[in-house]
Amino acid sequence: MSTGTQRVLGELLAVGRLQAFAVSAKGFAFDPRTGQSFSINETGVRTLELLVETGDVARAVERLAADCEVPAEVVEGAVTAFVHQLGRYLA
Amino acid sequence: MTARRAWEPPFIQPHRHDVSPFGRRGVDDDIQGAIAGVDIETLIDRWGSPLFVASEGRLRENVRRIREAFASRYPDVVHGWSYKTNYLGAICRILHQEGSWAEVVSAFEYEKARALGVPGPRILFNGPHKPRAILERASAEGARLHVDHLDELATIESIARDRGTVIPVTLRLNFDTGHTEPWSRFGFNIESGQAYEAAVRVKASPHLVLTGLHSHIGTFILEPRAYGEQVRRMAGFMAELEGEGHDAITSLDIGGGLPSRNALQGIYLPPEQAVPSIDSYAVAVCGALERAFADRPRERWPTLIFESGRAVVDDAVSLVASVVGTKRLPDGRRAVVLDAGVNSMLTALWYDHPVRLTRPVPGAPEETVLYGPLCMNIDVMRRQVRLPPLAVGDRLVFNPAGAYNNTQWMQFIEYRPAVALVGEDGGHSLIRAAETLEDVCRPERMPAHLQTGDGTR
Repeated sequence: MSTGTQRVLGELLAVGRLQAFAVSAKGFAFDPRTGQSFSINETGVRTLELLVETGDVARAVERLAADCEVPAEVVEGAVTAFVHQLGRYLA
Repeated sequence: MTARRAWEPPFIQPHRHDVSPFGRRGVDDDIQGAIAGVDIETLIDRWGSPLFVASEGRLRENVRRIREAFASRYPDVVHGWSYKTNYLGAICRILHQEGSWAEVVSAFEYEKARALGVPGPRILFNGPHKPRAILERASAEGARLHVDHLDELATIESIARDRGTVIPVTLRLNFDTGHTEPWSRFGFNIESGQAYEAAVRVKASPHLVLTGLHSHIGTFILEPRAYGEQVRRMAGFMAELEGEGHDAITSLDIGGGLPSRNALQGIYLPPEQAVPSIDSYAVAVCGALERAFADRPRERWPTLIFESGRAVVDDAVSLVASVVGTKRLPDGRRAVVLDAGVNSMLTALWYDHPVRLTRPVPGAPEETVLYGPLCMNIDVMRRQVRLPPLAVGDRLVFNPAGAYNNTQWMQFIEYRPAVALVGEDGGHSLIRAAETLEDVCRPERMPAHLQTGDGTR
């Protein structure tokens, strides 16, 4: 896991961005700071939960890989891209 | 996640706000499992995918409703079925059974109408290219000749002179209604005096008689008042000619251009709100006719002819396509590859066709690009539509898809698909078979020196 990805996550959590991000179970998300709304797919909603809950990209990857029975290497690449997306949209 | 699910990478997509929020349906409302009561999977099992499906009931209902809108407001109304909109034989036959005449624009379309049994006097012959041979046939069979230019008028006069007869003609007019972009390339212009000169030339000929006026102000006209102004201008020109001793004009043909409930690209409102009702067009046209001819006895009111195609057939035909692949584009958008593209539905180039799923699909809807099967960058069926995550084999229904697709489709890269008809009794039959290699290659010829050799050398 690249330290850059963990750093992006850490910064989002440190300023409360992810915690304030309102996400419905159906994947509708709202950023109260900017008023921008988003759609997040089902895996994305679960990934976001795990990222906030664990605060750790590697642990989120591990849990997702187990849930979905997908090799951790596959999940890691996808979660890395997702965290960087979050960084772009919420920073 | 409590149960193992198919893996899809996590994804977040910002909502764009450049698409009209009005009239946007929820995903649950966008499910359409049947066409005219027949299960779509049954149709696909029988005829394959992609598949155009026409509803006979909807087609008959449409033409009756549209004609009635005018016939309930004016005493003498003829609907001319615009062949170029969809000239599949079964579609034309249904409309002729409903009393519609044929409106044709080429020798091919004229011959097709006659082959379907339409009598010459019930054919309106428009178009800028009518070779002498087809004019000879059409005039002999009593078709209504709508003259586009002076050279055509001279040809008709020559035919009549050779036969020693008089041929009735209709002049096609163009002018500015002030509501739509003028279509000045067809017919004779009123403002410049060309139309008057053409009428004088007809009057001067012992072999021609002017019996009708025609104009077509454009396509997908969203302003009913444009038709009211069109009628006012045509009636004014008619009165001018009659006042100068021309023969009585017995028909005014207002052409076509009535819109369907399709979604033109670039129009913000959805069709339910952007497209006026047919009745509002009929009110504009028939009201203008009544005002124009109020001082004449009813028996001298001209026949009103209208040539609607799109409004009659568009929503009576659907295109069912199947998902053959999915991908995520580098900019994050979800993309779907379908087995039908602009080769089958060319109108995707200018419409955002409404699209529905044939079954509920779980998952969060996202803005999705729908690509066709062509190895060409232009092959886009929808640039942006909110859909849940689709998988190979899922079906999408595009409707309205009946106007200008089964005529403008291309044999390009892929075979053209079959067209099925669901009858009013719920039975379904093929009205055009899917194209085969034999169909495509039949007109080809192999020169003698290329007869041998299979490319293995």
